Amino acid sequence: MSENLPGIQETRELLKKKKIVIAGVGETEQGKIPDKSSFHFLSEASKLAIEDAGIKKDDVDGLVTAFSLVEHTFMHCTTFADYFGMNPRFFSSVAVGGATAVWMVAEAAMAIASGQSEVVLCVRGDNTLSGISSSGMLALIREMCHAEFEFPYGLTTPGGYALAAQRYLHDWGARREHLAAVAVTMRKHAADKENAMNKDPLSIEDVMGSRVIAEPLTKYDCSIISDGGAAFIVTTEDKAKELGITNNLAYLWGMGQGYSHQYLTTLENLDQIYNAVERSGQKAFNTAGIEPRDVDIAFLYDCFTITVLLELEGLGFVPKGEGGAFALEGRMEIGKDLPVNTHGGLLSQAHLGAMHHVVEATLQLRGDAGARQVEDPEVAVVHGNGGIVSAHSTVVLGNQPIN
Amino acid sequence: MSEEKKEYNKPLPEFRPETKPFWEAAREHRLVIPRSRETGEFFFYPRALSPGGDMSDDIEWVESEGRGKVWTFSIHHMGPSKAYKGEPPYVVALIEMEEGVKMMSNVVDVDPKDVSIGMDVQVCFDDVTDEVTLPKFKPAG
Repeated sequence: MSENLPGIQETRELLKKKKIVIAGVGETEQGKIPDKSSFHFLSEASKLAIEDAGIKKDDVDGLVTAFSLVEHTFMHCTTFADYFGMNPRFFSSVAVGGATAVWMVAEAAMAIASGQSEVVLCVRGDNTLSGISSSGMLALIREMCHAEFEFPYGLTTPGGYALAAQRYLHDWGARREHLAAVAVTMRKHAADKENAMNKDPLSIEDVMGSRVIAEPLTKYDCSIISDGGAAFIVTTEDKAKELGITNNLAYLWGMGQGYSHQYLTTLENLDQIYNAVERSGQKAFNTAGIEPRDVDIAFLYDCFTITVLLELEGLGFVPKGEGGAFALEGRMEIGKDLPVNTHGGLLSQAHLGAMHHVVEATLQLRGDAGARQVEDPEVAVVHGNGGIVSAHSTVVLGNQPIN
Repeated sequence: MSEEKKEYNKPLPEFRPETKPFWEAAREHRLVIPRSRETGEFFFYPRALSPGGDMSDDIEWVESEGRGKVWTFSIHHMGPSKAYKGEPPYVVALIEMEEGVKMMSNVVDVDPKDVSIGMDVQVCFDDVTDEVTLPKFKPAG
């Protein structure tokens, strides 16, 4: 691990001094819920997180939102501030695709560390499943890939990930079932999550035999689409005490980002993706003062099965090319080497970017994960990925203050 | 132009000032790739300034032989819009050009099952509308 990344020591000192925490979480019902709007979900999730923290709405003085795929707004954060009825002194909309929720934690932390805010509500909600039109779906891929030099060739979002997957299988001699194993583990975990959409058991054969979407990916290699909202409250340990918050706190130990490309056209090789994941992870790990082996639970963005393998390897949990075997041996399951996405992830629980990954990491560290509870986890990693394995963000969270 | 071409409903590129020379050449069935005159380095997709450290706006369009290899590909069984409904699976690929840049395209004139990574391909041109010609690739030789 490189010790010379700029900013590590400064960030470490800042996090030690400020003791940034996630003090409350909320998630609404997830599924197909056609009678609720995007802003309804945002409001409901916010309320739940505020109630979970046991604070008042007026205690919140900062707001971080993201975007909606259904209700497009010019200024999402202030549109929601108006709708929800709040007057934040710090507000920001984060929009880095699937890396968004993870970076919301960092955005809130930086605002708090620089005195812009003390209690930040971070929230996402959308009625993607019920509300998105076919033209909206088309706009999504058009905006993610290059509208002029990629889109006219009929690229789809699964297709973009399939291009990465095909190359991955080629470079490492990996097999189709290595990808499928990721979906199987996520489904196993979703079975114990009350608020999960897909809980029926899934086998490797089920995944491989499901409808082909974009070879080598089939239906169950792809995440689900859902309606719902989720939120979390970021503050400091001191402020949490002052507000009388009684939840166990999840402490922020480190954060980092890594950029690879926006358009696959400019991707040189798979290493470019690995390097972006690694940079993101290293910055977070080095700030936290930990190694990958110190991590008890990992929440890895799983928009497609291939994404998880690239992240496992890029973050240094397993050597490159060995993520598939790790998945196939069931080593990402609860009770095994490195429990991954104990809530079922985007592949089986629900899709709201990495919001649920952050929420579940917090619940696990608090010891509030119920039937899914991993035994005494002390360190969690959450990794988000936006675009087509393009933009990465990582946070390390602990159940104690960073030391 | 045939009736069929007038009914082309799939996504079409909208040209920008800096990409227009690419599409104009494609209409003439020529593949051109931009290169910085300052560094002599090719880049793709076309930009107004070279994406290299030179940031040069002195860009030349170099005619390509159109030869490359499949770097990766995916047989799409579902297209992004209704216009693809009922169509047979098609190949979306990233082609590594001899010039060193990559281009996304379709590999055509071949059974998708026979496409593989490393396969030699050659550009061909698909006049999808009166205004737009898409460079595509077919097996070489």
